[in-house]
Amino acid sequence: MRESDVIVIGSGFAGLIAAAAADKRGKKVTVLSKGVGTLTIGGGTIDLLGYGNDGRPLANPAAGLAAIEPAHPYKKIGSPAIYAAIKFFLAICESAGYPYLGRLEEMKWIPTAAGTLKPTCLVPKTMDTTCLKSAHTVYAAGFQGLKDYYPHLVAKNLSKLPGYDKNYEIVMVNPHFTDGRDVSALDVARWLDTGTGRKECIRQLVKKVKAGAVILMPPVLGTSPDYQVLEEMETALDCRLVETVAIPPSVTGFRLRSMMLNYLKTAGVRIIEQVSVARAIMEKGKCLGVVTQNIDRERTYYAKNFILANGGFYGGGLRAEPGQAIEPIFNLPVEAPAKQEEWGNRQLFSPEKQSFAKIGITVDNKMRPLAPNGSIAIENIFIAGRNLRGYDFCFEKSGNGVALASGYQAAMSV
Amino acid sequence: MKMYQHNPDNCTACTACVSQCPVTAVTRKFRGPKMVGPALERLRLSQEDAEPSLEYCSNCKNCDMACPSGVPISTLNMLARAKSFKNRKHSLGEELLAHGEKMAKLAVNLPGGAFFANMGMHIGSGLGLMRMVGITGQRSLPAYAAESFLSQFKKLRQQIFPDKVVFYPGCFINYNDPQVGMDFVAVMQANRYEVIVEEEFVCCGSPMVVTGYLAEAEQHAEKNSELIKKWREKSVPVITCCTSCGLMLKQEYQELYDIEGLAENAKNLYDACEFLLLLADKGKLNTQFAALEEKVIYHAPCHLRAQGFGLPALDLLEFIPGLTVENADAGCCGLSGNYGFKADKYDISMDIGERLFARIKGSGTATAVSDCGTCRLQIAHGAGVAAVHPVTLLRQAYQR
Repeated sequence: MRESDVIVIGSGFAGLIAAAAADKRGKKVTVLSKGVGTLTIGGGTIDLLGYGNDGRPLANPAAGLAAIEPAHPYKKIGSPAIYAAIKFFLAICESAGYPYLGRLEEMKWIPTAAGTLKPTCLVPKTMDTTCLKSAHTVYAAGFQGLKDYYPHLVAKNLSKLPGYDKNYEIVMVNPHFTDGRDVSALDVARWLDTGTGRKECIRQLVKKVKAGAVILMPPVLGTSPDYQVLEEMETALDCRLVETVAIPPSVTGFRLRSMMLNYLKTAGVRIIEQVSVARAIMEKGKCLGVVTQNIDRERTYYAKNFILANGGFYGGGLRAEPGQAIEPIFNLPVEAPAKQEEWGNRQLFSPEKQSFAKIGITVDNKMRPLAPNGSIAIENIFIAGRNLRGYDFCFEKSGNGVALASGYQAAMSV
Repeated sequence: MKMYQHNPDNCTACTACVSQCPVTAVTRKFRGPKMVGPALERLRLSQEDAEPSLEYCSNCKNCDMACPSGVPISTLNMLARAKSFKNRKHSLGEELLAHGEKMAKLAVNLPGGAFFANMGMHIGSGLGLMRMVGITGQRSLPAYAAESFLSQFKKLRQQIFPDKVVFYPGCFINYNDPQVGMDFVAVMQANRYEVIVEEEFVCCGSPMVVTGYLAEAEQHAEKNSELIKKWREKSVPVITCCTSCGLMLKQEYQELYDIEGLAENAKNLYDACEFLLLLADKGKLNTQFAALEEKVIYHAPCHLRAQGFGLPALDLLEFIPGLTVENADAGCCGLSGNYGFKADKYDISMDIGERLFARIKGSGTATAVSDCGTCRLQIAHGAGVAAVHPVTLLRQAYQR
């Protein structure tokens, strides 16, 4: 019988971080994965905490953490583990040759495709906005045909914001795409992956931009988790390049996922794709194995410990049923308002957190699931990411941050 | 009841599939899995709609693997493709590529047939005849073996054991690469299993499904399912060494056809490496392997990854002392069954495979390992490296 030390269910950011951290501790890790997670949809930034409960922007994530409410996953995890998780992640990025920037004491406000600013904490170097401070001229670059990215809009909206009062100029690059398909940022990034694409892009831009300026562009600087495209173009143009956050498919998310997968596979972590975990085999309050239900037959995977990181309602980790929310694999207690009409308030963009977003599994400080009476529901299960109760990632901008901190903490607890 | 209801509304348009589609990555001619699959399926449900770029889907299943919502995107594409042939005819090239089994039978049933057929394909290629019917002249069609697996197997005298398995060879192993079948039999014999080959098995239908011959493939599905059922009822497992046959028999039959007993049959179907690894789990694998002082590079076929039990070959090959196995982890090889044999898909196929070729060439290994026959063809063609099935290495290690 094959037995892992740790089985991680889910390969989103929380699952991948948990797998990496458990592997780092010398554990034999198997990841059971269904779908690619939300990494290729999200912006590839690690948002720690952007807004407080009142919806006002925080001075920095650390300040927000100091005042976090008791039910929030960050409160359970605690500051030392959050610092350690960030350090762990930054070290992975560093070793992969794709370093991220940022720290808890500093809020990074990064420009979006709508010309607004979004608070985050850890970003790839391509999203470093410090060069904007001293810039006089900012070029808002666009690519012909690129869907839902309008440099005029970016420039117009940004110019109204403090610190972004610059001389904006619009430059368009024509990637000469043929055929009728929509152009996505991923298409442009793949074009820039090629030597001919980079050369052509540089050739078009160099005629239009002045040296020493900043070029704001959609996230298209290559699909590989490295800075080759950024560095080559910055050198050739003698300008600084800044990627904005844009709509899916997300190139920066794609890079982050590639980096994590490369890291795990190199470390020897087994990743089993296309599996749906259906149920658990329990004995005396402990989980011995999980059973996957595929189209052919069931298979059982055994482990000493299990980290559940399969993504809340969206990933199928939680399921909403009339009058209740359930966790379908282990049947763990899920805290949700008893009256279903109280799951959400009627304003989609309400100034308060949505209660459906906060539905999830209550845990202790080791990420172990708790029963309503406060006892540990199952001792060798640990919860990470969107299955956790008590936070609205969308409202507070904390999605990848909670995933990172809880994935790390779960791995430290196994 | 079919296992899946193919509801395109389960798609949330998140674009995860687009990010993982190898065809989308190299050509703009394909509008992508999200658009061609679930998005257009919504329209196709209300009116017939022909999407020209549908032909670019290679049915590699990376979209299905990417989808967080369980939408069988590639199968939606194959169903739509079959429908599109209601109002148009197949080309001669499509006819040929879909019916490899029929062609092979014609070739090998004549005296010296394989030799002349191979020569004919060579000449045909040289004269550009293949290209005229839409088959690329830039790679050879797989050559026929001098003697089919079935013919070789019949001459083999096996040791008789109480434990038995049925082997489903599939067309490629039977007519083109019989050594894999013979290696499999030897490996099973070394594990005290007798191998039964059911002569009545026909082509799984995969090349027909991807070329739009859905009804014809259904006849094959019925025939094979009946035989698999027969062995299931005797509790004899049915094993494939070809990942695409395996995927078709277990999964795609259930997605495409309403044939009784498919779900039960699937429980009795095994991939060769998974079956051997299950033996290892029970402590029953013969681990008397001699050392193979070799470094090889492993390529995981998409149609294996799609089956949802990981990469059993990697775990299995760890039992061979001295053998170093590196996982190429470089995505789709690009050939995708008969896709890369089509003249207008050849370049796409090679562009997709480029990452894998570079990875293999860069690894400095002389041997690649892959469970899929067409992946092995593509590796040999694109990376210029000999590629073998994992059971071939196991057999070598047993025999030393």
